[in-house]
Amino acid sequence: MASLSTTSLSFKAPSTRISQVLRKGSSFQSVTFGRFTSSTSKSLRLQISCAAKAETVQKVSDIVKEQLALTADTPLTAESKFTALGADSLDTVEIVMALEEKFNISVEESDAQNITTIQEAADLIEDLVQKKPAA
Amino acid sequence: MAAPFTLRKIGVPPNSANLTEARRRVFDFFRAACRSIPTIMDIYNLQDVVAPSQLRFAISAQIRNNAHITDPKVIDLLLFKGMEELTDIVDHAKQRHHIIGQYVVGEGLVQNTGNKDQGRTGFLKNFYTSNYF
Repeated sequence: MASLSTTSLSFKAPSTRISQVLRKGSSFQSVTFGRFTSSTSKSLRLQISCAAKAETVQKVSDIVKEQLALTADTPLTAESKFTALGADSLDTVEIVMALEEKFNISVEESDAQNITTIQEAADLIEDLVQKKPAA
Repeated sequence: MAAPFTLRKIGVPPNSANLTEARRRVFDFFRAACRSIPTIMDIYNLQDVVAPSQLRFAISAQIRNNAHITDPKVIDLLLFKGMEELTDIVDHAKQRHHIIGQYVVGEGLVQNTGNKDQGRTGFLKNFYTSNYF
């Protein structure tokens, strides 16, 4: 599965989640990670360390492509930096705003400054989508 | 649903000390403008005319026009004018044809330059540019 390749790279973000879950013991199928139970039936540790869903990353890539007017065959991986794709700082802010609109979230300025790659953007989106109260 | 964004009117802040702070203010202004786009589309009924991404592009194009400026005070003044414009639009002090004319069609996104040059011949075009052709 494609998610296996990203687990090692994005390991630093969810490491706190893993330690919390291990402490909780048996009740870790509960609320926080309910989303992941439908994806794979492998060991739960792999599910928890997968920080962003592939479809989120895909949606982010689409928005980036549209914003920077990239042709369809430019190589776009989860780790591509926006600046490497030809975006200046205003483009980066515009991409964040487009993501805000698309996913209906609100990104704080402090969070927005740390976004430099597509993977980070997808992670942040997943965080915010999870945190906001279900409408 | 993310909490609806309201444009808070604050007094004129002191000048930016350096380019970094001016830059930060530009981004703050851009964010405020983008977050006001849903309100603007609602007020002026632009749903069928233009997409939010096009409006975002129009705003960023205007900002990029002045991207070469390096004096923080000049940037502050441009931001003041921009903020004034944004406040006017959000307050419904403008009308739909203003918005469409300034940010969508005309000098905005879509250029309507077809009709002007239709009748002109090559002779006239050259004549208008210089004496010698």
